[in-house]
Amino acid sequence: MRARDFWASLVLMALSVFFLWRTSDIPLFSSTQGGVKGVEWFNSAAIVPLGIFFLMLVLSGVLMLISIRDGGARHALSAVGLGWSPAEALRFGTLAVIFFFYIVALVPRVDFIISSGLLITALIYGYHAGRPARMKLAMLIVATAGAASLLLHFPQSEWQAHDDDWIALLLWVGLTGWMLLTGRDDRVMRITPLIAVGAPLILVCAMAFGFRQNVPNRGGLIFSQIEYHYYVTLRPLWRE
Amino acid sequence: MDFVLSQLAGFGGAFAALVVDPLTYLYLVTSVFLGIMFGALPGLTATLAVTILTGFFGNKIPLDYSLIALLGAYVGAIYGGSYPSILLNIPGTAASAATAMDGHPLAKAGRGGEALGLTTTASFIGTLIGTFALLIFVWVLLLISKNIASPEKALLALFGILLSGTLMSEDLVIKGWIAGLIGLAMAMVGLDPLLSEPRYTFGWSYMMSGFQVVPVLMGAFAVPQVIDGLRHAEVGKLTQFTDRIVPSLASIRRYLPTITRSGVIGTGVGALPGVGEDVAGWVSYGVGKTVSKDGGKFGKGSIEGLLSAETANNACIGGALIPLLVLGIPGSPPAAALMGAFMINNVIPGPTIDPAIILRVVAILVMASLTMFLMGLFTARVFIRILRIPQTVFLPVVLVLTTIGSFSVGGGINDLYLMLGVGFVAYFMNMLAFPIAPLVIGVILGGLFDETFRRSLFLSDGDLTVFASRPGAAILLALNAALILSQIPAVQRAFGRLRGRAA
Repeated sequence: MRARDFWASLVLMALSVFFLWRTSDIPLFSSTQGGVKGVEWFNSAAIVPLGIFFLMLVLSGVLMLISIRDGGARHALSAVGLGWSPAEALRFGTLAVIFFFYIVALVPRVDFIISSGLLITALIYGYHAGRPARMKLAMLIVATAGAASLLLHFPQSEWQAHDDDWIALLLWVGLTGWMLLTGRDDRVMRITPLIAVGAPLILVCAMAFGFRQNVPNRGGLIFSQIEYHYYVTLRPLWRE
Repeated sequence: MDFVLSQLAGFGGAFAALVVDPLTYLYLVTSVFLGIMFGALPGLTATLAVTILTGFFGNKIPLDYSLIALLGAYVGAIYGGSYPSILLNIPGTAASAATAMDGHPLAKAGRGGEALGLTTTASFIGTLIGTFALLIFVWVLLLISKNIASPEKALLALFGILLSGTLMSEDLVIKGWIAGLIGLAMAMVGLDPLLSEPRYTFGWSYMMSGFQVVPVLMGAFAVPQVIDGLRHAEVGKLTQFTDRIVPSLASIRRYLPTITRSGVIGTGVGALPGVGEDVAGWVSYGVGKTVSKDGGKFGKGSIEGLLSAETANNACIGGALIPLLVLGIPGSPPAAALMGAFMINNVIPGPTIDPAIILRVVAILVMASLTMFLMGLFTARVFIRILRIPQTVFLPVVLVLTTIGSFSVGGGINDLYLMLGVGFVAYFMNMLAFPIAPLVIGVILGGLFDETFRRSLFLSDGDLTVFASRPGAAILLALNAALILSQIPAVQRAFGRLRGRAA
């Protein structure tokens, strides 16, 4: 733990110094701030952040001293000291890539039901059995769908296009088929398609029509059809 | 006495209004069920339950109903953690870690039904004790808090962050304080509250309004939980039991003194700013072990040990709401999530809060604990089935829930980027044994601290003695100083030597 503390204290010190430097942009002594003239040090917008980052610098220094005293610096570069495990690094690394592409690429650009269905399928398939090969395949599928949507429709003005929805849908169907083929003896794998379709479908409909809230990518491939038929086909039935 | 009677009359009115509204039952049953489910599933926590439901109910339905949903989930989740503790020896929530010490040995001895039944009853009575304390003390404190000005508020916010950092840290206390400072630093982003000076916005217009509370909560509590839980794990072997769950009146009467004592301890610990249900459970367990005649049997399947922990963590709920409602300082991490719900509804907890809201909160807590009691006794076997669901199945759904919840509160994709960023930072902090609760409390109280600290200095023309010149401020300053000094090794050694000489 102390080896990790050594690195953590270094990062914290660097961050404290960086933000102390950024705080120097905010006027501290008599000057004009936010359109108010003659602001003194005691009501400057910089006084509290200065205190916070100065204290953080001091406490990180104390943490570093503790880690050096307890042998953290000696083991700072050793795998044992850092608690480094290749299996855990692979698990975290693949998850980080999946989360990144889901939030940054898929949710804004691809239909929510498709992107979330793909995510649920990939996560259950990849991590339920704890096999590294499955984790890598799950990551590859989500990263491919995400990269495709980023490359095809990066600017916000193009987020409503549907070709990346089709790519993600095909990858989802392909992964589901592969999962059912290779894991047909596992009950979890058999119920995964139901969860992957049902959970996002119920959630997005409850949010959009129950709570009347904004949902990600309203013009998505599937949700736009649901919304159209809700207002044009279904709603008139009980409105009339 | 008149004061207590008038309080009870006010509570009676709020309670009657709840009882006659049919929608109350819909929200109560759903939220308590969801809460128990969240608590029962190892890997999900009470804080996560309240956080996720804040995303769903926080600002989408009238505040009265969203309070029912959130408090119902809070009460249900704290209680629900006892199921896996007793039947699997895996605490469902941190709050029920002490419950496993005696709950599982009891289940292994074939007394699982009795343990569940008494736990349910004790949780119910514990919640009622905490709620009664909330009803009475919140008003006494509200009267006192009318005299609280900016210096006291700034020092109280600082005390909440420091105390939370001190008590929630599992490794070095300094890590808890650093976590609190990171939270405070995050609260500095955006336009400053007095002069509207932009701070750390890096030219990004989204940052001008600062970090939104709900995405920060979702990121801090949900994302690390999902990352950590997505690993292969065998579902634990459920300990079977054949005895009945509904406890007899005689056994309730027998353990009533233990339940009452633990309820009072839980409420007291909950009332400390920033200290959660897990601390309440362990403190009560420790006290129970010391004062009970059966203290030697604690840890080997003692009913008293089980009830000491379980009553206290539920009683903590009422206690945790006292500083939240009176001072705007959350008493526990789930209360911090609840504060997020208040904030997105433009309700500012503190001395200016509408008294009707407090009475309604008390009435909801009573209804929620009653719902939890009935569900726990008569539908326990449904929740036991839920324990068989592997976390690799429900955690992906939790991620989807947090995504749509976080998006819908702010209505922007930037909130999702914030959630993800905070989530990764929180995951690394967990890995490095930095507690997350002080960070969240820092984010929530940072704005209050900044504004009141600078206002105090502004009103005193920069005279720092303003933080010691008023009696309340002087006491709080002394408390803050004592808290910091008590953690310095040199001071600890000096006190040790003094104690040694005195002995």
